[in-house]
Amino acid sequence: MSHMVNVPPIENVVPPKTGPSRTGRRFRIGPNLVLLFCFLFFLFPLLAMARFALQNVPVVLLGWSTLFDKWSFSGITKALGDEGFRDALTLSIKLAIGTVVLTLGLLLPTAIWVHLRVPRARAFIEFLTVLPYVIPAIALVAGIKVIQPHVRWFLNSDYSLIPFYVILALPFTYRSLDAGIRSLDLRTLVDASRSLGAGWGATLTRALVPNLRTAIISSAFLTTAVVLGEYTIANVLLRDTLPTFTQVFRASEPQGSFGLALLTLVATTALFALLSVLTRKRGGTIDTPVVAIAATATDAS
Amino acid sequence: MTDAVISVEGRTDGAALSASLTTPSRPPRNWAWLGLLPFLAFLTLFLIIPAISVFQESLKSPDGSFGFDSMGQAFKGQNRDAFFFSIRFSAYAAAVGVVLGALLAYAAATAMRPRWLRNLVTSFSGVAANLGGIPLAFAFLALLGKQGVLTKIITAAGFDLYDHGFGFDTVPGLITVYSYFNIPLMLLITLPAIDGLKVSWREANANLGGTNWTYWRRVGLPVLAPSLLGGFLLLFANSFSAYATAAALTDSSRIVSLRLAFFLGGDVNAGEDAVGFSLASWMIIIMAIAMGLYWVLRKRAERWQES
Amino acid sequence: MSALTYSTIRKTFGPTVALEGLNLSVQPGELISLLGPSGCGKTTALRVAAGFEKCDSGTVTVGERDITHLPAHKRNMGMVFQSYSLFPNLTVEGNVEYGLRTRGFDKAERHRRVGEMLELVQLTAMAKRYAHQMSGGQQQRVALARALAIQPEVLLLDEPLSALDAKVRTTLRDEIRRIQTELGITTLFVTHDQEEALGISDRIGVMSNGRLEQLGTPREVYRHPASAFVARFVGSMNELPASVVGNHAVRVGGMAVATSAASVYPDGHDIKLLVRPEDMRIVDAGSGLPGTIASCTFQGASTVLGVRIDALDVLASVHVAGVADLTPGERVEVGIDGTRAVCEPAA
Repeated sequence: MSHMVNVPPIENVVPPKTGPSRTGRRFRIGPNLVLLFCFLFFLFPLLAMARFALQNVPVVLLGWSTLFDKWSFSGITKALGDEGFRDALTLSIKLAIGTVVLTLGLLLPTAIWVHLRVPRARAFIEFLTVLPYVIPAIALVAGIKVIQPHVRWFLNSDYSLIPFYVILALPFTYRSLDAGIRSLDLRTLVDASRSLGAGWGATLTRALVPNLRTAIISSAFLTTAVVLGEYTIANVLLRDTLPTFTQVFRASEPQGSFGLALLTLVATTALFALLSVLTRKRGGTIDTPVVAIAATATDAS
Repeated sequence: MTDAVISVEGRTDGAALSASLTTPSRPPRNWAWLGLLPFLAFLTLFLIIPAISVFQESLKSPDGSFGFDSMGQAFKGQNRDAFFFSIRFSAYAAAVGVVLGALLAYAAATAMRPRWLRNLVTSFSGVAANLGGIPLAFAFLALLGKQGVLTKIITAAGFDLYDHGFGFDTVPGLITVYSYFNIPLMLLITLPAIDGLKVSWREANANLGGTNWTYWRRVGLPVLAPSLLGGFLLLFANSFSAYATAAALTDSSRIVSLRLAFFLGGDVNAGEDAVGFSLASWMIIIMAIAMGLYWVLRKRAERWQES
Repeated sequence: MSALTYSTIRKTFGPTVALEGLNLSVQPGELISLLGPSGCGKTTALRVAAGFEKCDSGTVTVGERDITHLPAHKRNMGMVFQSYSLFPNLTVEGNVEYGLRTRGFDKAERHRRVGEMLELVQLTAMAKRYAHQMSGGQQQRVALARALAIQPEVLLLDEPLSALDAKVRTTLRDEIRRIQTELGITTLFVTHDQEEALGISDRIGVMSNGRLEQLGTPREVYRHPASAFVARFVGSMNELPASVVGNHAVRVGGMAVATSAASVYPDGHDIKLLVRPEDMRIVDAGSGLPGTIASCTFQGASTVLGVRIDALDVLASVHVAGVADLTPGERVEVGIDGTRAVCEPAA
């Protein structure tokens, strides 16, 4: 994962009360032109990729005349059938699950603990969660290579990627959980739960987690998107995850590889769309955690 | 599990209750910090130690002893070219991202048909800002690669891109590709700042005799400045540290992150290891500076948003 | 020659009519409050004067000049907004001199005027501070100084006290009035708080649904409300079911009350009689409506009695000066002084 970007959470998202709300609805050419241009800029690469992926025409011949030729899913189905793909996908999914579990298992209690018992540590922890930015994935993996000889037993396993993926996802998973916790009255919930006789475990599972559903789901989705797209570490450490496989596949099956890339894109977009829908339950406003998440960029590399 | 969720109606007498439920006495040293141990240990093990190892290796001279030689080497010759090139294209890419992203944010914030359009743009930006690496690289290969769809269109119009020096390893090429996630990213961080521009400021400006231009010059842009500058730094850091997208598009040795990967790939003479790690160290240092400045600017911007 | 005049102003927002046929003349040096509930159009009226809204028809004149089509930044008005209008990136000084800079005053002159203004609002010590370092009340005082620095012809205040704490509200309110009279500046003050309006205005314009219901001095508006709406909005009213009897009287629960307000209604018509609590009295047995004391609240200078009147099954509020030696449950009789009552159809 190279350029993983985290945008420190955007709180205070207020529905806009900017100027033209009451002073007449004029159609302004400027802003709409910008929107149009950007819309096209973002659409075209996707369309181009669709052509490469879905048209059974040699790339060299793709042009105006061949615009509607031979569109089919055969390239994709072939790629999906490839054994290497199956293995790579399986590994990526396992890594995703593992990362989500480890992330939640480590960060949720920590975030709760910080809010509950060590509020003064908040600034410190916030700083720590920004560190993975300062140490980009490529530099991180350089460090991994240094210590590799000493921990070969650990790094031999593909699953050793999991803790590093947790680190990569750290900035925004922690923030999203943190934002979720801050929207609760944590102290009161815990006190009430404990006063009713629940131990810490029960308090966690029955009082806190249900109220943090949004933040937890958001974290999980984002982590998944990150893991499914992570390329840097997997590449340098020579693992066969979905992204690395796709890149290698390009050499043997160009059309198929484009198909896989397209699928990855669609899947990631769907994940985010689902996420938006799930977290926008309350009215029409965008929830803080969602924006914090939408505002963080995970470099799917 | 559909157990009833405990919801809190009405407040218990917080102070007394919590005192009786939490640790019975406040010990002199706050042992609560121990609760952070798992997290801190994890972080140390998987982030700090690799990072320190990088620095450790880079502070080795060719003969293995301690020295700053390698750090210096990492800034000489081809390495230096790489750093300058990378800093240059990152800065330009960031600049493009800032301008277009801010404009887009302004458009989204003030465009008519507010609610659904703005939400759509924001959601899409959330996705687009995430794109990177393989899918994005492939998409641009399809669009602007040697056989790209757009390349052919432009050639047909009489202008051969690649003859004129275009390529994914050139500054224009990298700017184009990186803008795909830089612009949405800038939009997402600028949108709240633009929302924070209160209507009453514009009106007060008009009331006091100022024109639109006066407003932007004396209030609007100054207030947005920390966000814009912060955005620039963030985009710069983003572009500078990107690896996967570039790796899938080109094998240029002028991009620092790719260069680092080559070193790690082992096609390197013995004794040059330290130089490779120095590259990584310098990368980290540059990132630290950029992110540090970003942090400071963000705090400044937040303060004004709240007032 | 009035300082600010609205002539038949009409303003709509899509299907909603915000202002309908508004006619209002503010005399030079006068402070008029526009009072009314949310959505009555008072803020719209203010913004039309400021130039932030364009009216559909009608004219706005300042002195002799028709400014209806003049853009906002060319009108010479000072405006104080409800909240958060100070430019955050400028100091107090920078804010106050803003209007002077746009008008091209030189540095020395700006400095002098700013000093004057800050002294007027008693914030000279805060000259170098920023908005986020000050309290809400202080911010509004700076906003006032900023608006006045340009020596505007008209001062417009859009609910300037609504966002402040109660205590600060009263002190600042009096200060605004003090400054306004001192400078003799024509002022339009928008508020939904009737106490505020009653406290500082030369005249009050009570608005409802885009129309000016009544324009008069605080006393007039309170003692002689022109409509049931005004009667209810300014101060509180008892609502007693009654029926018209003859020309100038109504029958309330069997008792006759003389009131000129009934003259518009035909004999026998069912109406609601609106009477102020202080126009109701506890009278001797045999001369009023019997009822039971439901509550007795001593307020220092007066006592408020809640009386459930038998015949009407209505809980009436009766203001009595000083202490009332009555307890809940006691039987009393209530008399009504109808001279200032207002009538409204029963439906």
